[in-house]
Amino acid sequence: MVSGFVLKRVLQAVFVLLVVTLFVSYAVRLTGDPAIMLAQGAGSVTEQDLENIRKGLGLDRPFLVQYGDFVRGALHGDFGRSFMGGTPVARLIGDALPATLSLAGLSLLLSVLVSVPLGIQAAIKQGKGADQFIRIVSLVGLSFPNFWLAIMLVLLLSITFPLLPPSGWDGPASLVMPALTMAIILSATNVRLVRTAMLETLSAQYIMVARAKGLAERVVLYKHALRNCAIPLITYIGLQFGNLIGGIVVVEKVFNWPGLGTLAFDAISGRDYPVLQATVTVLSLVIVLVNLLVDMAYGLVDPRIRSK
Amino acid sequence: MMKLKALLASGTIALACLATPASHAAGALTVALHQDPGNWDPVATFLVSWGAVGSQIFDGLIVRTPEMKLAPGLATKWEFLDKNSKIRFTLRQGVKFHNGEPFDAEAVKFTFDRLLGEEGKKGPQQSNYTSIEKVVVVNPTTVDFIMKSPDPVLLTKLAGYGAMIVPPRYIKEKGSQYFGMNPVGTGPFKFVEYKPKISLGLEKNAGYWGGAPKVDSLTYRFIAEPATQAAELQAGRVDVANQIPLSMIETIRKDPKLAVVSMDGPVALALRYNTKRGIMQNRDVRKALTMAVDRDAIIKSILLGQAKPIASFQGTLSFGNDPALKPLPFNPAQAQALLKKAGVKPGTPIQLDFRGPDSNFREVAQAVAGYLQAVGITVTLKPYETNVLLNDIIPNGKTGEMWQNQWGGWTFDYDNTAYAMYYTKQRWNPFDDDAKLNALLHQQRNTWDQAARKQTLQQIARYVADQALEMPLYSLNTVYGVNKRAHNLALPADGRFRFVDATVD
Repeated sequence: MVSGFVLKRVLQAVFVLLVVTLFVSYAVRLTGDPAIMLAQGAGSVTEQDLENIRKGLGLDRPFLVQYGDFVRGALHGDFGRSFMGGTPVARLIGDALPATLSLAGLSLLLSVLVSVPLGIQAAIKQGKGADQFIRIVSLVGLSFPNFWLAIMLVLLLSITFPLLPPSGWDGPASLVMPALTMAIILSATNVRLVRTAMLETLSAQYIMVARAKGLAERVVLYKHALRNCAIPLITYIGLQFGNLIGGIVVVEKVFNWPGLGTLAFDAISGRDYPVLQATVTVLSLVIVLVNLLVDMAYGLVDPRIRSK
Repeated sequence: MMKLKALLASGTIALACLATPASHAAGALTVALHQDPGNWDPVATFLVSWGAVGSQIFDGLIVRTPEMKLAPGLATKWEFLDKNSKIRFTLRQGVKFHNGEPFDAEAVKFTFDRLLGEEGKKGPQQSNYTSIEKVVVVNPTTVDFIMKSPDPVLLTKLAGYGAMIVPPRYIKEKGSQYFGMNPVGTGPFKFVEYKPKISLGLEKNAGYWGGAPKVDSLTYRFIAEPATQAAELQAGRVDVANQIPLSMIETIRKDPKLAVVSMDGPVALALRYNTKRGIMQNRDVRKALTMAVDRDAIIKSILLGQAKPIASFQGTLSFGNDPALKPLPFNPAQAQALLKKAGVKPGTPIQLDFRGPDSNFREVAQAVAGYLQAVGITVTLKPYETNVLLNDIIPNGKTGEMWQNQWGGWTFDYDNTAYAMYYTKQRWNPFDDDAKLNALLHQQRNTWDQAARKQTLQQIARYVADQALEMPLYSLNTVYGVNKRAHNLALPADGRFRFVDATVD
């Protein structure tokens, strides 16, 4: 039973990866010529020169041959070499993936730590001052463009009060501002989500029963209510992870964070096909995996799913 | 609420604990560079960011000083022989590559065989050196360059990029790919460590033939976002920032620890005209549009003075620039009269294509549209993603009536620009086919006589201005942000750093 489930998911993942990479590889080739990007600055470049460069990059071959090469390589963990300079793509990805995952993971964690208690508070104090305050603050948070927030944090925490490095990777201190930027924006949505889910659950009859039994309010909230509204929250946070990876590009840019977002952005603007294809593959893989984890988490929080 | 406060307070304490030291060790210089070229092999790229590093690791036969003068490099002298068909270089003796390999005539021959052969073919550098037929070793300290055709810019080109001398034994043993990631040259700094997309570490070459550098180490950090470069500069973590946003210049200038260094640069901008389309076929209309735009005001208010007005598509440092050629004056009344005479109806629409992500130019384009509106031309602004504009719209002649063109070559020679812009069927010339211009361009390219060339180049610039093929806008200043603890940086206009005499407090 379990192996059937896993097999199905793996086949789905392979299908998703093939479709996504095929589409991206094809589409990016419609939008520009890497040879011209490389030749920029070289005075008068003839068509012959461009032809030579294309040949050197293997771009003179039919698209499906190039794509086939990419898939064959990827199966062996070899993503070829970057058009820009020839660094092995696997090395670029290997450096960037942990940076992005740690940033995304920490942001998500921070946001859950902040938004769950706040969302619950807002729900139990529904309509009262605390609820209003939390909702207004989250609305403000929601309205911040992430790049603006990032720049403001740099101004405050690196320049006015020189506490943190403004960019790059200099150890854990470098993680604080990018993660904070992402977490603030994520929390703004998550607080509202937790609040709504909690309100719904708190009006259920079993909560009334739990209270009538004389259980401590803490137990009612965190054991009975939170667990019951966990499924929609986990689903949403799983989906959010995909958006998070998308939104991370801007934050990585501002903080010069050596992650996949920056890598993908540079690859798109430089028409660096191998890097772009590999980045998209790895990102898709991450998203597929996260969704798989989300599905498995359902079983953890809900015994009814587990027993099926 | 109390809990929240406590949380904030503990957070602040935690942050303070993480605080990093504000500056770094003395004798270490750090440069913020906008891009990682991805490969340190001289034949592999043509990126400005390579040039910003190349002259630290490598030397050419000739070097160009920060004042843009040519001086002996790995060659101590050179002479033209056999009616200029041969150039004989006498090489510097006792020079060694960083790996201990000797520099000699074989290394020069190897460098150029590689550049002009299969390895060079795969990269963008080869096309710039095709006037060289071959390099012949006369003896270990003498080489002859046999020329296929005259190349008046050759000596300059020998001072950079593809012509940097590389170590034969090292490359033969390790291969080009390894060399690209672990470069070895004869230059003032030795390669230590390369972290792709993050940083490049160099240390001083104590045995440098031109005298050892004064700083012990040199680090380049790749930071694409100008605002982030500025923040790193303000935080005291980089000594030189090669791209800072215009809007930050005043802030940096006011900081007692920092300085802004601004000088004439190689990059010029023009709005090129599509002379095949509608009203733009009329030369008087093109002149009228040029006269309708107050370019001085644009420089002052949008570019905050960090640019100079130009009369032809080149900056003041460019060989061929003619100070006597003045930009068409801003004169909306005369522009209107010319348009009326040409029968252009008020409200006639035209389209201006530009690079959408270029936020400064977006403002410039809006200002241009405003000025043209004032003389009765309605401008539609059409932003393109940069690569689409450069790869498709321009070369395939799909532009609107005007299109943004930005150009600048490190050689500071108008030939580089003019040939690519005006010679028939060149990539950047999708519209014009002018036999007279072709003849002039050809003539200046096929002579070693620099005085005659200068005259021809000036003639070309005048002719282009007379035909009003473009609206020359301005040449951009090269602007650096600098930490005052660094001295004698000898910052160059072309961005090709060489920190031999630099010191840090």
